[in-house]
Amino acid sequence: MKRYQYLLKKIAWSFFTILFVLVLNFLLFRVLPGDPARAGVRDPRMKQEAIEAIRIRFGLDKPVINCFESLNPIKVGSCTINPLDTQFFIYVRNLLQGDMGISFHSNRPVADILSERLWNTVLLIGSGQILAIMLGVAFGIIAAWKARTVIDYAALLSSLLAWSLPTFWLGIILLFWGSGHGLPIGGKATPGTSSLPFLQQWADIARHMLLPTLTYTIVYMGEYMLIMRSSLLDVLAEDYILTAKAKGLSTFQILKDHALKNAMLPLVTVIAINLGFTVAGALQIEAVFSWPGLGGAIYEAVVRRDFPILQGAFLLIAVSVIIANLIADLTYSYLDPRVQSD
Amino acid sequence: MSVQITEFKPTVPSSPLLDFWRVFSRNRMALVGLVMLAAIFVGAVFASQLAPYDVSTSENITINDIYNPPSAAHWLGTDDAGKDVLSNFFFGARVSLIVGFFAAFISVVIGGVMGIVAGFYGGRVENLLMRFTDIMLVIPDLPLMVVIVALTKPSLLNIIFVIGLLGWTTTSRIVRSQTLAVKSRKFVLRARAIGAGNGHIIRHHILPLVMPLLVVNDILVISLAILDESTLSFLGLGDPTALSWGQMLNFAFGRGAMSAGAWWALVVPGFGIVWVVLSLTLLGHGLEQVLNPRLETHHLTPGRPVIRSEIPWRREKKKGEAPILLDVRDLSINYITEGKPPARAVEKVSFQLHEGELMGLVGESGCGKTTLMLALLRLLPAAGQIVGGGAYFTDKELTAMSEAEITDVRWKGISIIFQGAMNALNPVRTVSDQIAEAIIKHSPPIPRNHLDARVVELLDLVGIAAQHKDHYPHQYSGGMRQRAMIAMALACDPQVVIADEPTTALDVMIQAQILELLDNLRHRLGLSIIFVTHDLGVVAEMCDSVLVMYGGVTAEYGDVDTIYNAACHPYTQELLKAFPDLSNPEKRLASIPGYPPRLEALPPGCRFAPRCPAAFARCASERPALHALGEDHFASCHLVEVPS
Repeated sequence: MKRYQYLLKKIAWSFFTILFVLVLNFLLFRVLPGDPARAGVRDPRMKQEAIEAIRIRFGLDKPVINCFESLNPIKVGSCTINPLDTQFFIYVRNLLQGDMGISFHSNRPVADILSERLWNTVLLIGSGQILAIMLGVAFGIIAAWKARTVIDYAALLSSLLAWSLPTFWLGIILLFWGSGHGLPIGGKATPGTSSLPFLQQWADIARHMLLPTLTYTIVYMGEYMLIMRSSLLDVLAEDYILTAKAKGLSTFQILKDHALKNAMLPLVTVIAINLGFTVAGALQIEAVFSWPGLGGAIYEAVVRRDFPILQGAFLLIAVSVIIANLIADLTYSYLDPRVQSD
Repeated sequence: MSVQITEFKPTVPSSPLLDFWRVFSRNRMALVGLVMLAAIFVGAVFASQLAPYDVSTSENITINDIYNPPSAAHWLGTDDAGKDVLSNFFFGARVSLIVGFFAAFISVVIGGVMGIVAGFYGGRVENLLMRFTDIMLVIPDLPLMVVIVALTKPSLLNIIFVIGLLGWTTTSRIVRSQTLAVKSRKFVLRARAIGAGNGHIIRHHILPLVMPLLVVNDILVISLAILDESTLSFLGLGDPTALSWGQMLNFAFGRGAMSAGAWWALVVPGFGIVWVVLSLTLLGHGLEQVLNPRLETHHLTPGRPVIRSEIPWRREKKKGEAPILLDVRDLSINYITEGKPPARAVEKVSFQLHEGELMGLVGESGCGKTTLMLALLRLLPAAGQIVGGGAYFTDKELTAMSEAEITDVRWKGISIIFQGAMNALNPVRTVSDQIAEAIIKHSPPIPRNHLDARVVELLDLVGIAAQHKDHYPHQYSGGMRQRAMIAMALACDPQVVIADEPTTALDVMIQAQILELLDNLRHRLGLSIIFVTHDLGVVAEMCDSVLVMYGGVTAEYGDVDTIYNAACHPYTQELLKAFPDLSNPEKRLASIPGYPPRLEALPPGCRFAPRCPAAFARCASERPALHALGEDHFASCHLVEVPS
């Protein structure tokens, strides 16, 4: 019963956050300077009629939101604007139908472009995240177990160094190095490989993924290591570890059966909180390696001032992060028996 | 990356700045960070003087100057516009540092105010602010920054504001929890009680204690802001008029440095970013260690080797006496901290435990009781070391065993019931699981259903119904947890059970039940028990013998009748006076004024002398020996010395 309430609360909260992002995303592109139509079509020689045509096409001629009088009970009906005919309502309705507008640049539906790219980002973040977490946790365990030894200090220092590396710069350096060693210089696949058999196709993709994933892993591994280390140090100082030792369990058994699960709990939260930063890393890596993902889409949209893509990509990223956060929360509640009775 | 800071307990040093510097300068990490940061600051401030070329003009630059490798004229080569990379590096430092510091300042002010207001006022204000913080924490900030900067004019000021306005979330959360912790402190409550206003309390009581945390947080926020600025610039969203390191990388990467093989144009600006961020990170982590020192040793840190000395003699079993299970001879234990003299936690303590015997180990907290017990199973914390004497379990010497051998004795030979059973049980594993684990470890493989039956039997023994066996510790009451701990201690049919203050955290009714349970189990299972307690009254009803410890030494040791009826040591006598005597309810209770000695400041003579009502001149200067008063009665006091 308690657990259901916890789940419901979390789900409702995520829903509310998504609503907030929806409104924010809408307002950002309406309130901030630069009429999208004019900014999108930067050519000053553009005729007024052409601009008007674009405004109508993108629905910018409609009122932004319903006039505020309609919210005033005394003046109900005095507002002539149909609330269903405002930009905000149309924006929400379109979104619900999966319509995110048309790209200024390629004239294709934003939803189509982004849905192709979402999976590439998921592929990159997924493999990078798995590697970073596995290695980070492993090194964190070793560092905590060997606390205050040379091994520990070396691990600590190298993770602080990894923390300090700008992701995009590390990507550039690896790319520079890799291009001299026969690795592809960008993209997801070598042109012309789409007709190859499945296995060869994926071997090609894996070659392209090598450096982006490596960049990702190096940058995020350090932090997971630091958190695992400090979390494990806390746990190993707990009374129940002494109990386990008094029971005659070996060091390995104590680490495996008593320390790890408790020490992993804070890590789950951190992974969740970090998802936003993770996306930041993916954005930079995709920009450097021309990886056709959401981050790459944002980078290209910025360069081309393609606002519908920018708006759509931001919304998609934000919503994905919120949902991933929710999943992390639910995982936590599953892992920690204490949550259910709180 | 998120800024990870653990909340710290503020301390108020006597001479704050000086004390702080003393500790700070000893932290190598923080010092290196500070020096690195100072170096780059000098570079940024004196950029105009240090830069070998004027980078504001393109005069005298020809097509041949583009991407020239490092040379005597251009130490770090030239960039895509033919300009000197070293000169650009110094000016770029200015931009990066300015953005980093100003943006972080905005973030920390917003986060600090929100955190303090939320923590201090609580209620609906807190709820609202923290909910907002939660939302902002979830929204990925780099994409949001990109969107906002792309929609506004990319100027330095805009970038500073965007980074500043989006970077406060972690600060707000950390400051709030610190404010909450500080708010309920005594001096804040006192200030409120004498009518101080909220503004006054925040300014004079909360802020000083939140400040150190804010400074550490600020340092990490600066490094994040510098990383954000360089990323935005790299993505082409930097101020075109201010060449930051990120901007340099954007130009080099976008304008063919890769294909031209101009590694210097790519490496140098990146090196600058890494240098600054690393210096800030080192400084931040170092400062955190200084402000919030934590012991980085734990229960798996390898212990110190045992220093054995010749055991003077082992007591032979007398005729008609039960066999001796534990024989502890002159055992001494030190706590060793680097740079300090060793703390003598236990000195030359001896006792024997016979089969079926229940020994009470009595003394105030800090008298070395738990240390002595942990030493028997070689479970001392990393700083603890056995420095003399020895201990035998049956005919095996505990103090000479290898790690593998002692592992076999643990729980199967000697088991421990720890005090405060909440933390002694693992919160994320079920009780039955934790009991079964001990059985699996120490017995030959047994089928699952036998194991279950044994767990149920053990729980039944301590009065826990089988239906509760698969619950987690937090679902148990305090008394139940202590019972579960007892069941666990009995799981491997140990010969000796050490009960280390098993009733301390429980209320009186439950205490009585637990004591009765232990006494019952002892008779039913023929256990030998060492019962550690500070409550002499408890032991009276159950014990066969009593060992009274004070300040790490044996005060008095004898059988229970002797201790109660003919106590010789003034400490034992005082302890007896401190507990109610049911046969004489009119008697006044007396407590012993003062506290046991601190181990690092032991008195030169008798350790009890400063509190002893019977102390005389000799007690302050000369340590009393342990005198034998009868066959099984010992006391260390000058008063009982038999004149020779």
